[in-house]
Amino acid sequence: MRQILAVAAGLAVLAASGCSAPSPPRADAPPATPAGPATLPAPTGDHPVGTTVLHLTDTSRPDPWDLDADARELKVTLWYPTEQRDGQRAPYMTAKESELLLKGSGIASAPFDTLSKTRTNAVQDADPVGRRRPLVVLSPGFTKPLSTLTSLAEDLASRGYVVAGIDHTYESYATTLSDGRIAECLACDSDTDPGFGAGLVQGRAADVSFVLDQLTSTGKHAGLIDRERIAMVGQSIGGASTMAAMVKDPRIRAGIDMDGTTYARIPKSGLSRPFMFIGSREHVPGGNDNSWDRDWKLLTGWKRWLVLSGAEHQSFTDTRLLSDALGIKPLPGVLPAARAAELTRTYVAAFLDQHLKSERQPLLEEPSSRYPEVRFCPAACDES
Amino acid sequence: MTVVRIAVAGLALLLAAACSPPAPPRGQAATTGGTVCAPPQGRPEAETPTTIDVIEQAYFCILGNYYSGPTLDARSLLTAGFLALTQEINRDGRDLPEATMPALTGDRKADWTAFEAAYRKITDQVPDLRDNLAIVTLEAMVAALGDNHARWAGQPERPPDYYDGDGYGLGLRANVSAPPRNDDPRVTLPPLFVTTVEGGAAQAAGLRPGDIVESINGMAPFLDGRTTPAIAALYPEYPDTRPVRLRLLRQDTGRRWTVSLKPGLYPRDLAGLQVVRSKLADDDVAYVRMTGFTPDSANRVLRAVTRLRTGRTLSGVVLDLRGNGGGSPAEATRLLSAFTHGKNTAYQCTVNGTCQATPTDDTVELLNLPLVVLIDRDCASACEHFSSAVKDLRLGRLVGTRTAGVISGPAQPYLLANNTLLSFPARHHLGPDREVIDRIGVPPDHHVPLTPGDAAAGRDPVLAKALTLLHT
Repeated sequence: MRQILAVAAGLAVLAASGCSAPSPPRADAPPATPAGPATLPAPTGDHPVGTTVLHLTDTSRPDPWDLDADARELKVTLWYPTEQRDGQRAPYMTAKESELLLKGSGIASAPFDTLSKTRTNAVQDADPVGRRRPLVVLSPGFTKPLSTLTSLAEDLASRGYVVAGIDHTYESYATTLSDGRIAECLACDSDTDPGFGAGLVQGRAADVSFVLDQLTSTGKHAGLIDRERIAMVGQSIGGASTMAAMVKDPRIRAGIDMDGTTYARIPKSGLSRPFMFIGSREHVPGGNDNSWDRDWKLLTGWKRWLVLSGAEHQSFTDTRLLSDALGIKPLPGVLPAARAAELTRTYVAAFLDQHLKSERQPLLEEPSSRYPEVRFCPAACDES
Repeated sequence: MTVVRIAVAGLALLLAAACSPPAPPRGQAATTGGTVCAPPQGRPEAETPTTIDVIEQAYFCILGNYYSGPTLDARSLLTAGFLALTQEINRDGRDLPEATMPALTGDRKADWTAFEAAYRKITDQVPDLRDNLAIVTLEAMVAALGDNHARWAGQPERPPDYYDGDGYGLGLRANVSAPPRNDDPRVTLPPLFVTTVEGGAAQAAGLRPGDIVESINGMAPFLDGRTTPAIAALYPEYPDTRPVRLRLLRQDTGRRWTVSLKPGLYPRDLAGLQVVRSKLADDDVAYVRMTGFTPDSANRVLRAVTRLRTGRTLSGVVLDLRGNGGGSPAEATRLLSAFTHGKNTAYQCTVNGTCQATPTDDTVELLNLPLVVLIDRDCASACEHFSSAVKDLRLGRLVGTRTAGVISGPAQPYLLANNTLLSFPARHHLGPDREVIDRIGVPPDHHVPLTPGDAAAGRDPVLAKALTLLHT
């Protein structure tokens, strides 16, 4: 019987992340007047940004979701500093991807191709500039294309990082594969199973290790990347996957989990590489989710646990920046989209600058009057 | 506690409801005027202590919405609650001269007022027991319904170091796979033996399937051929960490030894936790194991069969529902609809005999394949809805052992004022021939029990029988 209750607990956790994740106001949103295409905020760093897409195939393992595929194909999007200021801006996503994402998320308040018209800042296939730059792997939330982290990716590239974002095939409503076929969310079939999250993050950890193998050893980007300076950042189950990948792959020197309930088992000896939790009020100590409390005890190196007042699950992604274009009214009491993007970019960059560039960051030492929304948990974490 | 134990089947349904907002029972609410309690909207807030006001809400919630609410003698609930209250005071080594039952008249409101006055007078004198007295009183009132889908539960207390997919306990399963209840109609024959080693202390101590459990904490699992309460100790619940001593016999070597197993969290095999798993058996049979009727599970089963069918001719489908604790009746109906059209798979009836049919969904494409369903004593609720329809509508054959008989009716959850959930059915379930399945269970067409020898050797005589049936 206890097993059943334990299962129950597991399902509740999943249900929680599954429920809080999409929650775009649907039919109950007031009559919509989409505001026209969104423009992502300009990157804040010194460099113009280029981007390109790679399709990589791991023949060493079968696909975990498509039982008929004996290899795992991944779409990886790179962002990097370039000197090329002009040129075609990269598409945010295709019209078909936009349609599948909106339909999957239950959003019908705007034309289905709306998101494909989102204006980005990165120049498509521009030549990268520089050598041995620090690398940041990005992993998105469940059912979300990697595109939903574009604002963060572009900003990091403008600050001198190479960013490798992974679309984990079949874990998103839409991923266009190398042959033009669109992979839909096969993983969604089993997302209420007990142990689903634990299994998924194991698979993503394997995805990340394979992508690191490919990027650092072969191909034209190998010289661009400093193999000694690799970090990972993810939102929701992508944040949980960051923890899983760090436990498994020592090449990842530091990691950030943005509002993701975690699933990977940290060894009893602890995880000593730098790690930062940054989340919404769902993830305060002693809250609904036990996972950050549980992991906090096993993080033995540099660590931070930040909770942003007024943030919600999507405050760490582009989703809120796209709300006007989709005709979705902001939720009352929630951080405005632009401010949420600024806070996310600022604190993620501060963490990476400290741990990959060895630049000490006062922002990470104590609360800042410029960013009063940021609370330092578990010590000074009370709701203000 | 019993309340928790009897609700295995309803659990999956409840949990499913936790995410997708449960459909409000419009028709029911309209007819019963049950505004005293409503279905939960999303995840409940933090639980607060149970008070007499919560008990009152539950009392009127039951009377307004429960299956037999319209005809129930409410005095039976109050009497059961009062008995539990006095027993709990006695268990604390005390008694109170005024702890006597008030006179009841049969008027539901007046009787509640009398009960509440007596309850307050008593509990005011033992304030240190107050919270606990409220809990046992409400538990007893729910138990008095004698309905295996009636349940009152707080939010599950979870070990702080819990990981998704973990189990808690000794790490084993036996042929009696849950603590037996006093009123359990299921018959178990000796011996008690291990069927699965999931991990934890059992695995560390080297236990294996087929090991016979001769005693539990020094007590016999059977007395005069009947199971004893000692078996419950095999399934400790968090936060119980008291070691459990087992005397074991391994039949093939004759080894007899004693182990002490400490309950705890243990990781389980993640692949084994998947609700739907499939493989090709004997090159031409689609074998699909389904451990619950969770959302979308029927479609998952059908997709699995379609995939195994691609590029080959199948001679049939084996659907393994052993251990399937139920879930959504809609999923059971959808899956049945792949095997027949234009039939009623069940009836849901009110206490005065008005029945609603649950017809097949004839938009589901027929598989047109022979079907064998594997069942056992842990196939409960929606699993029995499915099995009884397979039998009555002659959709296939059932192999294994009789099902659980835990299918009073589909439970609807209601949120109480202290953020606990009370759930129970508004209608009771009947099979396609309008027969009662609850408590009786569904008998297999081919009775194939599992023996310790089979478990030890990793043999599955139930599946073997199913494959034989499909090949003759």
